[in-house]
Amino acid sequence: MKLNSLAKLGGVALLSAVVLAGCGSKSSQSGSKKQEISWMTPSAIATMDTSKMTDLYSAQVANGTNEGLLRMAKNNKVDPGVAKSYSTSKDGLTWTFNLRHSKWNNGDPVTAKDFVFSWQRTVNPKTASQYAYIFANIKNAAKINSGKMAVSKLGVKAEGNYKFVVTLDKPQSFFKFMVTQPEFFPQNPKTVAKYGSSFASNSTKNSYNGPFVLKGWNGTNDTWTLTKNKDYWNAKSVKIQDVKFQAIKTPSTALNSYNSGKLDFTTLSGTLAANNKKNKDYVVFPEASTSYMEFNTKKIPALRNTDIRKAMALAIDKKQMVNKVMQGGDITPKGFVPADMAKHNGKDFAAQAYVKSGTDSNLAEAKTLFAKGMKQVGKKSLSLTLLGADDDDTKRATEFVQSQLTKLPGLKINNQNIPFKSKLSRAQNQQFDLVLSAWIADYPDPSNFLDLMTSNNPQNDGKWSNKQYDALMKKSESTDANNETARWNDMVQAEKILMNQQGVVPLYQQGQAALLKSSVKGVQPFPTSPQYDWAKSYVK
Amino acid sequence: MVKYLGKRIFYIILTLFIVSTITFFLMKFMPGTPLTNQAKLTPGQIHQIYKQYGLDKPVWQQYLVYLAGVVHGNFGISFQFSNQAVSYLIGSRIGPSLIIGGQGMILGVLVGLVLGSLGAVKANTWIDTTSTIVSILLVSIPSFVLAVLLQYYLGLKLKWFPIADWGGFMYTVLPTLALAASPLAETARFMRTEMVDVLSSDYIELAKAKGLGKVGIIYHHALRNSLIPIITIIGPLTVNIMTGSMVVENIFSVPGIGEQFVKSVLTNDYPTIMGLTIVYCAMLCVVLLITDILYGLIDPRIRLSGNSN
Repeated sequence: MKLNSLAKLGGVALLSAVVLAGCGSKSSQSGSKKQEISWMTPSAIATMDTSKMTDLYSAQVANGTNEGLLRMAKNNKVDPGVAKSYSTSKDGLTWTFNLRHSKWNNGDPVTAKDFVFSWQRTVNPKTASQYAYIFANIKNAAKINSGKMAVSKLGVKAEGNYKFVVTLDKPQSFFKFMVTQPEFFPQNPKTVAKYGSSFASNSTKNSYNGPFVLKGWNGTNDTWTLTKNKDYWNAKSVKIQDVKFQAIKTPSTALNSYNSGKLDFTTLSGTLAANNKKNKDYVVFPEASTSYMEFNTKKIPALRNTDIRKAMALAIDKKQMVNKVMQGGDITPKGFVPADMAKHNGKDFAAQAYVKSGTDSNLAEAKTLFAKGMKQVGKKSLSLTLLGADDDDTKRATEFVQSQLTKLPGLKINNQNIPFKSKLSRAQNQQFDLVLSAWIADYPDPSNFLDLMTSNNPQNDGKWSNKQYDALMKKSESTDANNETARWNDMVQAEKILMNQQGVVPLYQQGQAALLKSSVKGVQPFPTSPQYDWAKSYVK
Repeated sequence: MVKYLGKRIFYIILTLFIVSTITFFLMKFMPGTPLTNQAKLTPGQIHQIYKQYGLDKPVWQQYLVYLAGVVHGNFGISFQFSNQAVSYLIGSRIGPSLIIGGQGMILGVLVGLVLGSLGAVKANTWIDTTSTIVSILLVSIPSFVLAVLLQYYLGLKLKWFPIADWGGFMYTVLPTLALAASPLAETARFMRTEMVDVLSSDYIELAKAKGLGKVGIIYHHALRNSLIPIITIIGPLTVNIMTGSMVVENIFSVPGIGEQFVKSVLTNDYPTIMGLTIVYCAMLCVVLLITDILYGLIDPRIRLSGNSN
C-alpha cells in the first residue's frame, strides 16, 4: 500500500515528500502488529528449481515454500514432513517413507511419484545439476549422473501413492538429514511439464507444498514475499502471514534500512558487527562452517613434519584473531568439525573429540617445536607463501596469520590475495604453500568435514595423508555404518588424529552476526542449510 | 544524411563485433569456473556439467556458437540465475538503470548549464565563486561517497526519501542525485569557460552595439555557441553515469543492470557479463551517434555527410 501511494505522487516536490515519509513510518509502525516480518537477505534468489539450486539463499526460500520427506528441526533433530514416519532396513540400505495425504498449492496431491520424478530429474545428466553429487550414495546415482546408465535405474521407487522407498549403495545414518534439503524435495511433474525450461523461473511458474507460497518474484528482482500457504498440511501451526524479503548487497545500506525501521532483520559483517555488538537487537547464529589453514605437504617437504605443523598452529592466537581481527560473529574453534553441529546421545561432537593442542596457542611451545622440527628436516629457514582470497575478511585473516607465523624464528611468510575463484583453482591444483580455506557443511554430520581430509578426497588441497585416519573413516562408512555409536567413535578418533597430527589448522568457526527485532519471535536458526525457518515465527 | 547514418550504423555494428570478441576471449582467460559451488565439485563433476553447457568444446567453436546467438539477440542462459535467459535478465533490469541514468543525466546537464551560465554572466562575483566551488566539490567527491552521504542524511536522518529499494519516483531521487553530481559539475565547468569566451567575442560586442537586451544576447547568441563543447562531453559523461551506476545501484539496492554487472563479474557469470558489455557498448554508441547528429542541429556549419572527416 505504501509503495502505491508513493508511486502516484511521483514528481511532487520536496515538502510533500517530508509529509509522505512521515506517513510511511507511521504505517510501518502500525504494521508491526500485523503478522508480517521484513527480512533482509544478502543475495537475490538464483533459482527456485530445486534440481538446480546451489546457493544457501535460494535454499532458505525453498525451505519455506516447499517441504521434503522430513523437516530440519532444532537440536540436531528432524521433524516429520511429507513423510509421517520412516523406517530403515537392518542393513541400513533401504529407507521406507510413509507419506501423509498432503496437497500442492494447485490442489494436486503430493505423492511418492513426485519424489521419484524430482530425484530422477536432478540426477539426470541432462539437467546439469551442480548438486547431483549429493545423491551419490543412492543406488546407481553416480553412474546415471555420468551418463552410463538409464535414469529409471535410480534406487528410488513409489509403492502406491504414499509409500516411497529409497535404496542406498552403502548405509548412511545421516540420510535423514539429507532428505530435509531442497535437492531432495518433491516436484510436481505436471508443473514441470507445463513450463519446461522456464519451470520455477518466477514465482507463478512453480508449485508449492510448504508452509508458504512465493509471491512477487519475477525471476531477477530483489524483493519477494513468502505468504502463508493455506493448503499446507500443517497450516494451522503457521502464525506468520507474510515474510517480506529484500535482497540488499551493500551491508551499510541494510543497516541504515534496519535503523530506519524498514527491516526486522539484517545481517552484519566485519566492522559493522563490531560497532553493533552493544545493540540490544544484536544476535549471533553459529554456522557449521570452519575457516582453516591447509599445508601443502605434497610440494613443501618441511610441511610433512608434524612438529613444524604443530608449531605453526600453536603460534597463531585464535582468540585474538576472533576478538580483535575478524570482529564479526565468529567464535574460536574447538576443532576441524564445528561445535554445536552434530550430537550423539546429547554429546556434542566437537567437545568429545577436543584436542587441546589442535586449537590452542602457545608461542613459547611453538618456538621450541619449530626449532625441533627444523632440525629434523635439516633446515635453518623456511620461506612460504600464504594464499587467500581477496575479500576484506580474508585479507585481514591472512595479514594476521602472517604476523603471527613470522614470530617463529626462521619462518618467512609472504601473502598472496587473489580472487576467490582463482584461489579455489590454485588450491585444488596444489599451487600454494599455505592456503586459507573454509568449508560449510551440507548436512549436520561430522563426516561432512572429516571426509575432506581423507587421502584421496579432491578437496584435500594440501594432500595431508594418514593411513589410520583413512582406515577409521572407511570403517565408519562400512563395518560400523549401521552402528551409530561405533560409527560416532570412529569419527571422534579420526578427528583426534587430525588434530594431534595437525593436518589442518582450524582458525575460527564462522558465525552470522545480525540484528533481529525483539518483537519477532520463533524464527528457528540452523547451523547448516537452510539456516533459518520462519514456519513457527510470529510477531508479538 | 542517410548515407552518413548508414555508415555510422555500420561502424556501430563493427564496434559491437570487436567488443564482443574481445570480451569473449577475456572471459575465457579468466581463472576459475562459473560454477557456484566449485569448491565442492571434483574435476570430473565439473567436466560433466561443462559438457551440458557446451563449455567442453574448443574455444573457437564456443565462440562461433556465441556469435551466432548474439546475432539473434540470444546471449545464452545465465550461470548465476540458472533458469533465466540473459536477454530476459537484462530486459527486466534495464528499466531502473535507464530511469536513474536518464534522470541523472538530464538533471546534471540542465543544472550544470544554468550554473555554468550564471557563473559566466556574473563572472568574478560571489555567484561565480559559488558556482565554481559547487562544481569542484561535486567533481571531486566520488559518486559512491556522495551516495552514502545522501543515504545517511536525506534517508536515515531526515527521512525525506527511502533509504534503498525500488518502487516509484521517490525511490529514484537519491540515486539520481548521486549520479547527477558528476555531469552537473563537468557541464558547469565547461559551460562557464566556454561562455566567458563567447561573451568576450566580437559578435557579442556587435550584438550589444546593435542594442540587443542582455537576456536576448545570452539566449540567442551566447548559449547556442557555447553548447558545442557541452555536446562533445556528453559521450564521456554517459560513460561516467554507466560506471557510476554500478556502485550507486548497489548502494541504493536498485534492481538495475549496473548492480547485476558487478554481481556477474564476481560470480564468473560469462553469458551475463558478455550480454551486459554488449548492451553497455550499444548504449554508448547510440549516445555518440545522437550527439553527432545534435552537432549539426546546433551548428549548421558542421555537415553530416559521408564525405566529412
